[in-house]
Amino acid sequence: MVREKETTLYIGPQHPGITGNMMVKVKVQGDTVTKAEVHVGYLHRAFEKLIERRNWLQSFTILCRFCVPEPDPMELTYARAVEELEGREVPERAKYIRVMVMELARLQSFMLWYAGQSGSAGLYTLGQWSVGDRNYLLDLFEDLTGGRIYHMYIWPGGVRRDLPVGFKDKALRTMDYIEKRLDEYDKLLFDNVIFQKRAQGVGIVPADKAIEWGVVGAPLRGCGIKADVRIDEPYEVYDRLKFEVPTAFGGDVWARAQVRRQEARQSISIIRQVLEQMPEGEVYNKIPNPMKWKVPAGEAWAKTESVRGEVGFYVVSDGSEFPRRVHVKGAAFTNGVTVTEKILVGQNIADISFILNSMGVCPPEIER
Amino acid sequence: MLEQEQALLSQVTSAFPVKGKVMRNRRVEVWAESTTVSSILMYVKNQMGYQHLNHITCIDRIEDTKFQLVYTVFSHQTKMTLFVKTFIDRNAPVMDNIDHIWDQANTYERELREMYGIQFPGLVGAQEFILEDWDEMPPMRRDFKTEEYSEKTFSSLPGRENTQDVRETISTRSGEEIPDFAKKYSRD
Amino acid sequence: METKKDSQTIAEYIKNWSRKHSLFVMAYGTGCGAIEIPATMTSRYDAERLGIRGAATPRQADVLLITGYLATKTLKRVIRVYEQMQDPKYVIAFGSCTINGGMYYDSYNTINVLEKYIPVDVYINGCMPRPEAVIAGFKQLQDKIARGDADNGTRYKENLDWYRANQQQVIKNWRMPDYNW
Repeated sequence: MVREKETTLYIGPQHPGITGNMMVKVKVQGDTVTKAEVHVGYLHRAFEKLIERRNWLQSFTILCRFCVPEPDPMELTYARAVEELEGREVPERAKYIRVMVMELARLQSFMLWYAGQSGSAGLYTLGQWSVGDRNYLLDLFEDLTGGRIYHMYIWPGGVRRDLPVGFKDKALRTMDYIEKRLDEYDKLLFDNVIFQKRAQGVGIVPADKAIEWGVVGAPLRGCGIKADVRIDEPYEVYDRLKFEVPTAFGGDVWARAQVRRQEARQSISIIRQVLEQMPEGEVYNKIPNPMKWKVPAGEAWAKTESVRGEVGFYVVSDGSEFPRRVHVKGAAFTNGVTVTEKILVGQNIADISFILNSMGVCPPEIER
Repeated sequence: MLEQEQALLSQVTSAFPVKGKVMRNRRVEVWAESTTVSSILMYVKNQMGYQHLNHITCIDRIEDTKFQLVYTVFSHQTKMTLFVKTFIDRNAPVMDNIDHIWDQANTYERELREMYGIQFPGLVGAQEFILEDWDEMPPMRRDFKTEEYSEKTFSSLPGRENTQDVRETISTRSGEEIPDFAKKYSRD
Repeated sequence: METKKDSQTIAEYIKNWSRKHSLFVMAYGTGCGAIEIPATMTSRYDAERLGIRGAATPRQADVLLITGYLATKTLKRVIRVYEQMQDPKYVIAFGSCTINGGMYYDSYNTINVLEKYIPVDVYINGCMPRPEAVIAGFKQLQDKIARGDADNGTRYKENLDWYRANQQQVIKNWRMPDYNW
């Protein structure tokens, strides 16, 4: 066998296959990756620094921009950390609304994932369908919060406002529609021989190393490990709802896709349960003077489950009107840098963007 | 109440000379000397099943000229989170490198090195992780003034006065009165 | 249509007419605004009916979309991408943060005024701009092309010294190729 010369390739930042604005520098021999380095920082906006200059509520404009495809977990995690510091109670109805918003956000993020995952395998039809259908979910968000992408809806002490008139019916109708469409997506993606052959055995995260490597979210559940913040440390009303945490075996792209396929259906079922069980009442435990609100000194760590995995906020207060330090640990920070660097070794060049999509790499969350 | 948490705390405090407390259910913190942190982490990972490193973060305690480091570890068996906290000197910040315990610690440490200027002896990896061609002081330190730097480097167009109250601007422009209910939320 | 047909020769009119109906957009999501691009391109808003579609490489692209804030690290890449694009080329700046800093006015790593580094044809404001706004922005660009006013590439070449001085003020380690257009 002729030993081929090692070449360096730069995938990104300007590359149609890359997930967002980042760069993967790979060394290749022939078609096989021998070394991969993830370079980030193209989206660094110094959010953690800016939050130190905003007061507690002004930070919300920044928080939702941490991860663009799925902004709500960031708001909820921060709100929960601040509530823990202050000991503020959240009304029952607000807890249900929060869970509903989180699951809607998960669902719309799954729709984007369908587009990315199939698009990187060359199946462009599904992208047209799922991103088009995602608009129906964004319509729900628009009714609820006034914004399509950025919501700033979940606040410390509850949510900003109650559900609009007729929201429940519209949401249930949308869920019926999306559920029907998910079956059609399955026919296009999971019954597709091209996808099956591309996905199986590619980008394997070894199950015995997964926890030690810091893998979170769907990639971890794709290794057969049942780990999800919603059952490990149930927040809001997740302990009162019936839902499954799907797992799959193999740790490859196929397993991660199977996990997400079932999770999307679980999200629909959770939204239906929440809409059924939601009690009447207040939604917002008012903050007395929002612009001069002071949070007692202390440190708090809160985490929630996003589509990509666990999102954690370490919030430090020194008793003033401004947060002292807000550290964000996004799921992509480990999944997207060290883990991706490891699992890319030995793969083909054509599979790089495929694997990045299945790991759920979200660059704005990595560099903040 | 909180027996599991107390058990975890006593197990760590009996093995190491550390102080600690139970913060709430599933949250335990210990305060350690900076030199013992890596052995505590090694111990809780290998002996107690705290295999998942959530994150490493730094808080700039500029008033005490110290950096506070927080190592957060999580156990998938007991579902509890342990915080290992320590102080290091802010003027000569050096901390033990722990990327032999967890590989992904390398990323966190490279970020801390870049953002706070903390040195980790033996840390491999490019100097630049997020920033590029940065020649000022590490930007996440409290005494780095980001607004001044931004004004100096990327001057903006006129029309952006920072502490301006938008309601006042609108009312002077259009001659409207600010309603009373809006006044109570004013800044001063 | 408000095309100034009288002031253009027939050849110019035909040239501008055909240019405006095939806008190939550079696939480079420089910031968070990129999230609305898939929605704009797919079934509900369907920008392709206006002749707008993606192009993978700079040399085949006509339109560079700056989707939001630019970190200095990205600015360097954006300038290279922009300089590789062939004439005629157009730049659409997306979101409030490209106009005058937006909510990132005090960040140490994002530029405030995009116009200082590369010439801009159309600004779309909002954070983020909805797909309707994006399409309206493209429509404005098409009108501009039809009028024969879109001279982005020439403006850059004529004022190259000024743009270069501004760029080098922000990008400290200047290792960029020189072009001889």
